[in-house]
Amino acid sequence: MSAPVFEVIRKEIEAILPRYPRKEAALLPALHIVQRKLGFIPPEGEKLVAQLLEIKPVRVREVVTFYTMFTRKPLGKYHLQVCSNLSCSLAGGESILKYLEEKLGIKAGETTPDGRFTLSTVECLGACDQSPCLMVNDDLYGQLDRAKVDELLATLE
Amino acid sequence: MPKITIDGQTIEVAEGTTILKAAGQAGIDIPHLCYHPAFPPEGSCRLCLVEIEGAPKLELACATVVREGMVVKTQSEKVKEARRSVLEFLLAEHPLDCPICDKAGECQLQDYYELYGLFESRYRETKEKKEKLVRLGRHLLLDRERCIQCTRCVRFLLEITRTGELGVFERGIKSIIGFYEGEPVDNNYSGNLAEICPVGAITDLDFRFKTRRWLLDSRPSLCPLCSRNCAINIEFHRGLARIELGQRVFRIRSRENPQVNQYWICDLGRYSYRYLDENRIDRPYQLVNGRRMNLSWEKLFILLSEKIRALRIRKKTSRIVLVLNSALTNEELFLMRRLFLEELAVSRFIFCDPPEEKGDSFLLTAERVPNRRGAEKIGFDVKSREEVLREDKIDLLLIFAAHLPEKMPLNWLSPLASQIGAKFLFASQESKLSQLVDFVAPVTPVAEKAGSFINVDGLMQSFEAALNPWGESRPEWEILVNLAREIPVNYRYFGRFNSPRAIREAMAEEKLIMSERP
Amino acid sequence: MNEKVLSRQFDLPHLHKIDVYLENGGYEAVRKALRLRPEEIVEEVKKASLRGRGGAGFPAGIKWSFVPRVDKPKYLCVNADEGEPGTFKDRYIMSHNPHLLIEGIIITSYAVGIHLAFIYIRGEYEKIAQRLEKAIEEARNKGFLGRNILGTGFDLEVVVHRGAGAYICGEETALLESLEGKRGHPRLKPPFPASVGLFQMPTVINNVETVANVPLIILNGADWFLSLGQPKDGGTRLFSVSGMVERPGVYELPVGTPLRKIIFDYAGGVKNGRKLKAVIPGGMSAPILLPEEIDVPMDCESVMKRGSMLGSAAIIVIDETVPIIEVLSKVTKFYSHESCGQCTPCRIGTSWIHKIVKRMASGQGRKDDLKEIERLASQIKGRTLCPLGDAAALPILAIVNKFRAELEAMLPQ
Repeated sequence: MSAPVFEVIRKEIEAILPRYPRKEAALLPALHIVQRKLGFIPPEGEKLVAQLLEIKPVRVREVVTFYTMFTRKPLGKYHLQVCSNLSCSLAGGESILKYLEEKLGIKAGETTPDGRFTLSTVECLGACDQSPCLMVNDDLYGQLDRAKVDELLATLE
Repeated sequence: MPKITIDGQTIEVAEGTTILKAAGQAGIDIPHLCYHPAFPPEGSCRLCLVEIEGAPKLELACATVVREGMVVKTQSEKVKEARRSVLEFLLAEHPLDCPICDKAGECQLQDYYELYGLFESRYRETKEKKEKLVRLGRHLLLDRERCIQCTRCVRFLLEITRTGELGVFERGIKSIIGFYEGEPVDNNYSGNLAEICPVGAITDLDFRFKTRRWLLDSRPSLCPLCSRNCAINIEFHRGLARIELGQRVFRIRSRENPQVNQYWICDLGRYSYRYLDENRIDRPYQLVNGRRMNLSWEKLFILLSEKIRALRIRKKTSRIVLVLNSALTNEELFLMRRLFLEELAVSRFIFCDPPEEKGDSFLLTAERVPNRRGAEKIGFDVKSREEVLREDKIDLLLIFAAHLPEKMPLNWLSPLASQIGAKFLFASQESKLSQLVDFVAPVTPVAEKAGSFINVDGLMQSFEAALNPWGESRPEWEILVNLAREIPVNYRYFGRFNSPRAIREAMAEEKLIMSERP
Repeated sequence: MNEKVLSRQFDLPHLHKIDVYLENGGYEAVRKALRLRPEEIVEEVKKASLRGRGGAGFPAGIKWSFVPRVDKPKYLCVNADEGEPGTFKDRYIMSHNPHLLIEGIIITSYAVGIHLAFIYIRGEYEKIAQRLEKAIEEARNKGFLGRNILGTGFDLEVVVHRGAGAYICGEETALLESLEGKRGHPRLKPPFPASVGLFQMPTVINNVETVANVPLIILNGADWFLSLGQPKDGGTRLFSVSGMVERPGVYELPVGTPLRKIIFDYAGGVKNGRKLKAVIPGGMSAPILLPEEIDVPMDCESVMKRGSMLGSAAIIVIDETVPIIEVLSKVTKFYSHESCGQCTPCRIGTSWIHKIVKRMASGQGRKDDLKEIERLASQIKGRTLCPLGDAAALPILAIVNKFRAELEAMLPQ
């Protein structure tokens, strides 16, 4: 883990601490900062957050393992999060997932060997009028069919 | 003071009392798992749900405060069914480990199943598989499959020791108890976790696979290892016919005492019990040219009283030195004072308490002897006054080491040994000290006698014997009374003392000491 | 009535920029509100019968009046966690008109005496969170946030706080725990957040849509608001319509509009002309309705009388081609995955039921599976620490009850 990125993380976390009446309340935003910079939350990240918020690392681990958006394992460059809830499934979401599994050669929960894609299933993304949906990192793509999936993958280098 | 009715019984309770506590006052047990009186209600196990007249749903007894006129039912069909269902849920994902689980016989899940369950399992799915051998620290193992997520362990470490090592990881059915790598549970109170865990999820390595709960008897005592004097229970094998057991005592457990240790004991007190069964002196003996010659107590008393008589007649009792420590009981120290100091004019006393070690801000004191306050109250100067050794020749040295012969700082003894006449050691354990004296006699440690101590806060507590004396061990108070008879010294006075209780009564009469209350 | 009120301006380009918003009457409600006394605003909102639009439907004005007028820090938490499956109206409000929400926050905070408000937004709405943060900056620069707002001496800061993927954090006390930097474990109630909330201080938690209605009530009056809806349930609702309809989307309609009308008159009816099989009326936690039950007026009381709930007003339409086991599987998977794990019946019950349903779905059902599912769901119902238990149990019971024959047919006899 290169030191400079940890300095950046430290500064960003320190900048948001004053927003909260108590330091420890900044735990979720602090972890988001770590994950955005590193792609995941390694022990060094947990310990840095613990130190800055003046809490024990075990409290950080409790939170990291509770919330599904936080990951302790590195993600691929593009995290494909396919909705597996009801409305998307009614619109054909299952076959979109299967198609992606075929095309990428991995199963949901796995990352492609070249590190480009991680495929996950997630619960309702709150965009059910655009079912079936998936998110690529922070971006939402809806009304998917095989053609649109092909188009999308082509743009993700 | 609200009046409420529970199961037809009307009782009056203090404002702010929960249904659970009120029921307890009325003699009604409401089953509960996550609730522990040391912590605020958690409300997660859902086992304590009861029916309140007028309320649409069942409510938690542990968390609901009573109101005037409340009518509570703890045995209605609805309540029974709710209890049964919580047990069913817990047992559905619980491994069938009873035959190999150390908690068997003292497991809340077993006990409640017998009282409120007794149903056939209808779980036909695959149980969650989790790690079964997680080392939590020096003393404890965690079995994650057995864990019922009551979080008592997590809360104990957050609220009592304030060390917070354990946490809940993952979510939902995958939830597990865990700690951060490199930061296991290594504080001085870890053993309490195995006690408060209602099931066999957290177990004690010290107790693992050694015996079964129902083979043990439990007797109360006080822990003699520091000056807190925590209330403990000593749990020992009641004996198996025709089977030779290597040890009697299998574990020490905490005993509730709101004034001293609440519900807890420290790991030092919990795990240091082997001295009760190991390295004990079986019977009195004499060392002649390094060779051991067994003696009877009668012979020992005759020999010792002869020596004392001889010195007394010649008015040379100034040549007697007594080495004591603060592990002796109030009664024994009182007798020391009366017999030696006052009757025999022996003024040369040295207190050789073990050196202080690190205490903590909770129960463990830096003083590692139980009764320094008692010794002071009885009028002894507990600072080691080695100048006493040089005041005169030493014709007779009596060392009362209690259970601490290894730890007493007696470096002066070896160089002086050849100049001292007769040396008597009264101790419970064998130690290097035994080689430096002429006569060795076994005494009973605190677990094997009755008496009283005054703890660090000035609280006097009496205790009874929990175990039978080892071999021919005798309590120091009994030795002193017998000595008084043999010498003889004022046996009309000392002869009354047939128990520590009798001695305490005399102490109270003579206004030397105190009642049970602080 | 086909007038949009809350979403009236949503099609204006760049409405999320404060200049456009101001040009179109923006922040007039704040100006008006800050000239009223806080108690007056609370009374007005009570009169308007503005009910919570997150799921529970609790009257907002009454919730506000539970906050004691004490000299302690108080907080507002806007619940933008929008996790109820089928719901996307808050996304719609926040991305089209963040300033409307900010106005609502300012007025609500002023009414209750709050000087620090949090928008707890689900982590997946990152882009919307960024839009909100920009809008907050714009508002601060124009003097609508920060110290001495519009010279009235009223201070208010608004912080956008992202969640990280936990449906349970939409439950108000779990939201508080999460905002305090902990796992989203719901708290025992009582005490209620109005007295013991964020950092143990009095706290108001309101849904995005609820707060977004407040400026309208201030501008147009409680009577107007009440007249749009039903006697104890004023205003309009933003209905999220999805599933097998021709035109899925957000439809703003008066409270009390019949469900049938929403599906067939506004959303174009069942897609591809198929037959309707079932409708979930208020998000996944609302028990399913059969085609003969969809004449129900969509207001809190009426839907409750029908054995379901208006909840988040998220309508999911299911047609005849969908095997009901698929719906049941999605329901059990969701709740077992989202259970926080604290209390026994939910932690173990939702997982047990899901294991049975998974088996059934894979063709390995057993004769008594349905009975077991009903038994277990009944053992969860009413016994859990938080409403997620009922949110799981009631829909499961409704599906099994109303589609018993279809489900029984999957099992060996």
